Amino acid sequence: MSKLKIEMEVNQRKVSRETEPQKRLLDFLRDDLNLTGAKEGCGAGECGTCSVFVDGKLVKSCLMPVAKASGCKVETIEGLATPGQLTPVQKAFHKTGASQCGYCIPGMVMAATSALRQNPDAGIEEIKERLGGNICRCTGYTKIFEAVELARAVIAGDMPEAGLEEDAVGASYIGANVRRLDAPSKVSGRLKYAADMKMPEMLQMQVLRSPHAHARIISIDTSAAEAMEGVACVITAADVPGQDGFGVFVHDQPVMARDKVRHVGEAVAAVAAEDLLTARRALSKIKVVYEELPGVFDPLYAMEKDAPLVHDYAQNNVVKHIPVRKGDTAAGFAAADLILEDKFSTQQVEHAYLEPEAGIAYVDADDVVVVISPSQNITHHRHMLSAIIDKPINKVRFIMSPVGGGFGGKEDMIYQGMLALAAMKTHRPVQLNFTREESIIASSKRHPSQVHYKMGLTNDGRITAIEFSMLSDGGAYGMSSEGVMRKAAILSCGPYEVENLTVDTTAVYTNNTPSGAFRTFGGMQAQFATESMMDMAAEALGIDPFEIRRVNMMKIGSRTHTQQALTTASLDRVLDAAQAASRWEPGAPTVRGALRGDLGGPDTRAPCTLGARIKQTGPSGNKEKVA
Amino acid sequence: MLTCDTYHMPTSLAQALSLLAEAPPGSRLISGATDILPWAREGRAGDVHLPALIDVTRIAELGGYSVKDGRVRLGAKTVYQDFLTEAPLRASLPCMPYCAIWFADDQIREQATLAGNLVNASPVADGTPPVVALNGQIELARLEGDQIARRLVPVVDFIEGPGKTGLRPGEIATAIILDDAVGYGGSFQKVGQRRSLVISVACCAALVKTDAAGAHFDDVRLALGGVGPRPIRLTEVEEALRGKAVSLKVIAEVAELAADRVGSRSRKEYRREVVVGFVKAALEEALSDQPDVHVTIRGAGETADV
Repeated sequence: MSKLKIEMEVNQRKVSRETEPQKRLLDFLRDDLNLTGAKEGCGAGECGTCSVFVDGKLVKSCLMPVAKASGCKVETIEGLATPGQLTPVQKAFHKTGASQCGYCIPGMVMAATSALRQNPDAGIEEIKERLGGNICRCTGYTKIFEAVELARAVIAGDMPEAGLEEDAVGASYIGANVRRLDAPSKVSGRLKYAADMKMPEMLQMQVLRSPHAHARIISIDTSAAEAMEGVACVITAADVPGQDGFGVFVHDQPVMARDKVRHVGEAVAAVAAEDLLTARRALSKIKVVYEELPGVFDPLYAMEKDAPLVHDYAQNNVVKHIPVRKGDTAAGFAAADLILEDKFSTQQVEHAYLEPEAGIAYVDADDVVVVISPSQNITHHRHMLSAIIDKPINKVRFIMSPVGGGFGGKEDMIYQGMLALAAMKTHRPVQLNFTREESIIASSKRHPSQVHYKMGLTNDGRITAIEFSMLSDGGAYGMSSEGVMRKAAILSCGPYEVENLTVDTTAVYTNNTPSGAFRTFGGMQAQFATESMMDMAAEALGIDPFEIRRVNMMKIGSRTHTQQALTTASLDRVLDAAQAASRWEPGAPTVRGALRGDLGGPDTRAPCTLGARIKQTGPSGNKEKVA
Repeated sequence: MLTCDTYHMPTSLAQALSLLAEAPPGSRLISGATDILPWAREGRAGDVHLPALIDVTRIAELGGYSVKDGRVRLGAKTVYQDFLTEAPLRASLPCMPYCAIWFADDQIREQATLAGNLVNASPVADGTPPVVALNGQIELARLEGDQIARRLVPVVDFIEGPGKTGLRPGEIATAIILDDAVGYGGSFQKVGQRRSLVISVACCAALVKTDAAGAHFDDVRLALGGVGPRPIRLTEVEEALRGKAVSLKVIAEVAELAADRVGSRSRKEYRREVVVGFVKAALEEALSDQPDVHVTIRGAGETADV
């Protein structure tokens, strides 16, 4: 391999380095120059966390071999403003609260800067289009667009610079527009996420993952990988000194597959090496002999007698069944004028936080095992790791690095154990940065669910009884399934007072990717079914959808599905506000389609169009519409 | 992850051709690199090691463009963003800005080249239908002794199937040569899994020229992408429209002809439906896009002002 001589100007300073020929500009900036403001969110040009200027043009540095930038002027997020200062764009992002997790923000600030450099008068449609290569998972973009429009006005002199300062807070902070304390660190690219951190002598970890959904591990031969120059250690389940097992509720998941693999992508072995490339090459030298086992992929089949067992301890593959009973359901249905019955299913969903999982572990001079990661549950992780590595709790420390988006997906300790084991085996810091593909294959997902729903109502819209049965695919490990089933059961029948109900939520093991925590924690799947039933009941009974909800809503004094007496309730006000805001056209929800009078209008978002800049100036003028 | 032993950045075509001739087997030419880097990842090619990569983007001869004698010559370094920012290209290649705006995003368009898109020969490449509609040719250079020889191949023939082209060992694509369609209206229709940053499931490019009154079709060019292994030029639709009075009825009739050209094996019924809609939409949009003509499309009992 012949080294490549790279000379460029980075943030107005001359830089000259010899580096590996396959490096991308992103690797060169982050690894060789330690400029970690540009992030690697996907490595495939999809997300824009790596956007930088090369000779004044914004590019995705993960798609640019570094040789292409040699001899060029490169500008990164770190170079936009002088240290300690912020540009108007950065200040505007601070002002409007456009940075939340912050992981997309350096790239987003670069794209916003580019948009306003390319066209200082860009309208909102053009701004959206020019930011189209950058993904944000937190904001829904509204605050980002507000920030770019604010910056545009200040740069153009249409608004005084004071407009970028924090609004004065009056008598109360409630309702005041308060800026986020951590925003400057994010808009300037200075905040270090786990993948941005470096320690002296640090090793890079890579993980060998299962190609099979269900297979017995006959043998793992790591000798060839261990013999490689540059490899510091290889770890497998055999390296776990204590009681192996983690999980949010049931500790059913080994740090790495033990005796068998239960889903595609499960960690089987890991290598820590002097550099990433050596670690990746070492993976291909690990020989694993599998004996494939029949898998179970359908949650209904999982509960049948002849279904393969995913975990020996769980007969019928049931992770958790949560029953809720209230009143007399049979009597309730007998009193109904109308009984509706239907099925609802929802799919598996990936959290897709912009920051892929990343972490560092090291053993300090006092033999404390330290793990730095964007864990959403560090105290629980610390306790679990203490048992896994057989060390007292005071010898285990977890440091939570900034979380570049979690949404529940970073509650599971799916890699911190491997990092700790490798650090203990080598006494060197070890870092593992997931690729986007690895994050998708190995992290938990939203539970796919199937709901069977039966609802009885009187002619005036009053619910007399509900039978609600939800079956969720928990995947290969328990993770948060138990809690998700509890929440789904508690919220099952919605914010409605139901005298008679029979609720069952069940999560089962399958050989699919494990399901875990995800925003609403089971509530979304249940509400999708309940609110759909409410709309269908309104249609069947000829009642306005708002009215049927008012007839049934919980009020002060109502008892919830789990028999809690409510001392406060706000659904009446929520319905009033939603009805007013949507300019609701009253009436039963019989299909009126485009004839509805409440479609479009202010505060509704028009579908995205492309071509704003062609439309404005037109290659041939006189443009009336574009694709 | 893409790795290599050597990364070359030749500055002349002669140098690039000799590097290519001497490169170990398995070496690759690199243009914008926006496809090869995502390709060498898990789920596609996985980790790939190539002996040498020869980057053509520092070759001065491959830069720039010219418009002359009814043809437009685009150097192979021409990137997609140029079709949005270069006024002469926008005027002479009226379907290209619409194609470009749907292609990836502003940042990828600064790197991705039209020539690279064609040489990759993806059946769903956005660039193929507009180039085929513009009677595009690709110029290929090779070494003959120490002389550089060139040949021109129509793009419709050059792309032989998914990932397969008429590029011979030792050849480098140096230019794309297209009709100068100044005065035509252009359009590009595309559907993908989502709106931005996505490859086409199917796409359609159109160019339309009417008489000065906007009453009759003088010339129509239509090409489809994503509906077969090779680019498809809808010559039967083009011929059916030549000289015809502009009306919704005639547009709807000829659009139906497109359905039978769908050769894809997957989602065939969907694609048949989509292309009929595309041809209609593309014709209407291209009619309205003509720089100097205002067209009022009339149909049976209907009047549509586009």
